[in-house]
Amino acid sequence: MKVGIISFAHMHAYSYATCLKQLDNVELVAVADDNPLRVTEAAKQFGCAYYSDYRELLATDVDAVVVCTENAKHADVVVDAAKAGKHVLCEKPIATTLDDAHRMIDACREHGVILQIAFPVRFNTPMRRVKQMIDEGQLGRIVAMRGTNRGQNPGGWFVQKELSGGGAVLDHTVHVIDIMRWYLNSEVKEVYAEVDTRFSDIACDDCGLLMLEFENGVIASHDPSWSRSETFPTWGDVTLEIVGTQGVTRVDAFAQHLTVYSDLDNKVKHDFWGDEMDLGLVADFISCVREGRTPSITGEDGLRALQVALAAYESARLRKPVRL
Amino acid sequence: MLNVVVVGAGTMGTVHAEAYQRMTQARLVAVVDIREDVGTALADRYGARHYLRLEDALLQEDVQVVDVCVPTYLHRGYVEQAARAKKHVICEKPIALTAEDANAMMEVCAREGVRLLIGHVVRFFPEYQRAHHLVQLGAVGPVGTVRTFRGGAFPIAWNDWYASADKSGTLITDLCIHDFDFLRWTFGEVARVYAKSLWKQAFNRMDHALVSLRFSSGVIAHVEGTWAAPSGFRTAFEIAGTGGIIQHASDEATSIHTDLRASESGTTGVAVPESPLVKSPYQVELEHFIDCLITGHTPLVTAEDAYEALRISLAALQSVQTGEPVFLREGLQ
Ligand SMILES: NC(=O)c1ccc[n+]([C@@H]2O[C@H](COP(=O)([O-])OP(=O)(O)OC[C@H]3O[C@@H](n4cnc5c(N)ncnc54)[C@H](O)[C@@H]3O)[C@@H](O)[C@H]2O)c1
Repeated sequence: MKVGIISFAHMHAYSYATCLKQLDNVELVAVADDNPLRVTEAAKQFGCAYYSDYRELLATDVDAVVVCTENAKHADVVVDAAKAGKHVLCEKPIATTLDDAHRMIDACREHGVILQIAFPVRFNTPMRRVKQMIDEGQLGRIVAMRGTNRGQNPGGWFVQKELSGGGAVLDHTVHVIDIMRWYLNSEVKEVYAEVDTRFSDIACDDCGLLMLEFENGVIASHDPSWSRSETFPTWGDVTLEIVGTQGVTRVDAFAQHLTVYSDLDNKVKHDFWGDEMDLGLVADFISCVREGRTPSITGEDGLRALQVALAAYESARLRKPVRL
Repeated sequence: MLNVVVVGAGTMGTVHAEAYQRMTQARLVAVVDIREDVGTALADRYGARHYLRLEDALLQEDVQVVDVCVPTYLHRGYVEQAARAKKHVICEKPIALTAEDANAMMEVCAREGVRLLIGHVVRFFPEYQRAHHLVQLGAVGPVGTVRTFRGGAFPIAWNDWYASADKSGTLITDLCIHDFDFLRWTFGEVARVYAKSLWKQAFNRMDHALVSLRFSSGVIAHVEGTWAAPSGFRTAFEIAGTGGIIQHASDEATSIHTDLRASESGTTGVAVPESPLVKSPYQVELEHFIDCLITGHTPLVTAEDAYEALRISLAALQSVQTGEPVFLREGLQ
């Protein structure tokens, strides 16, 4: 199978490329990026062809593309990819507006291509184990959940609203909302949120707090803040606590690490040794394409998570809960 | 495809059987155990046949590999029997309880032209592998001191064999040997050993060991092992270099903490920590061993490595008894 990567604007593209290289019977044939320096370096690093215009890549015989442009550009690229008959793995969040998300989902459906959204946390081994515990009923009926996906401010286009669609609250809400929906098989009914810029002098949000209620009555909260300081030992976290009638469990997606105190870097760092979740995501996408099955994480999943993040912004603006 | 017979259907035999079940390169065809019920149960679970005696299994089945998972004092007998039948051998650690036994095992395998692979699984744990790699990369500069910890509750097993020193070799030979092997892999040969333990002083099940290792490279290591904890099992290490420190603590690197409610039917509540991986280190180890048997590649851990780890254990036991350091190598002043 031949795969291309469109844009390295989102740094996850480098990880996905590395994963593609590790899979059997998959070839990363080309990369496209409108940044000339970035695209030539990526092509050299991964040993493949490159294009400055993604439409040229779409004109080749690639079977599928991984889209890692700035968030606001996802929609046009994905719609063009669908028209060209290419299956798509799209970085999260699916888009910056609900209209764009619908446009992407419709185009992919119309042209019969797979649209999978990159929520790799679903492939984190401890997170999968907890999904299994819940599905087996070990925790009883789930009644409450608490999530965090804190991080460091990535800077660059991530803090330019016209390209990113929003700051921390958009960037770091969608992963955990996706996991909560996946665990509960229920949709978010109502969102209340505090959103602010308190960690740096930027024109978009860098922290917040979401208070949620699901259709099945489960209450939940989530912290998506870019609140990790420079000396914090890792980029951030993904944690969940799940309260059920028969038990409570806490899961930390990145607990499996060594701690390294480095005088060379003058820093304390976590060195992760657990299973590589991006590889699970990319392998799953490839097998969906090969077998023509419904992707395990659909465009609708991407849309639902985006809805919650956008509702959080609206709630913060209105200073009241917003119903979905 | 290699056909395997697992000898010993206890804790480790079960872990190995499950690993073969998930492999494409190997197949479990038979289980040998002197206990009919335990052996049959394990064999049935994986569609294999149970035999009371290895000679019968070798006679009836088409087998290329014998995997020895019986208590340690029985390793030599089965390894020799398998080698003489021209079968490759995988054997749980420790290789044996004496240097003489270990030598005899390596010799018979060499003579019969079969391989002998010893399950020093710690080299296949990702956290230990990662630390080894970081040290090789010089992530913390030249290493000065190292501390390791391993242990928990006393192991429950067939016939309580861990409790007798002439069957398990004591805590130092059974458990601390894991860290001896990891340290030797990462820091080279050991020059001298000094150790203290509760062996012969207290009830065996409460054994606790403190071992000082001095490496030819100069590294000073402290190895702590225990069977004295009321419950649980945990591992930890710290590697201190001139440029930094690497720390691991299994109880802190645990990804899932679950607390289940006591049920109405009377079961008590339980707290269950878990740190799941897609492939258990035992599976990774056995896949590697099977691959080495097929390709002829040198394994990540050799029988000679297992022998050297045993020598460190024996030196530590000698030191416990004499109260004197034991010198394994000259050179370091
Ligand atoms: N690598 C590790 O992490 C690890 C962990 C535990 C044990 N071990 C090693 O694995 C080996 C087995 O330990 P275990 O804890 O599984 O023991 P165990 O007591 O749980 O199992 C031993 C099994 O061997 C059977 N057996 C006893 N005598 C036999 C004989 N003569 N012939 C055939 N079967 C016989 C018993 O019925 C029992 O089922 C030991 O060498 C031990 O040191 C390694």
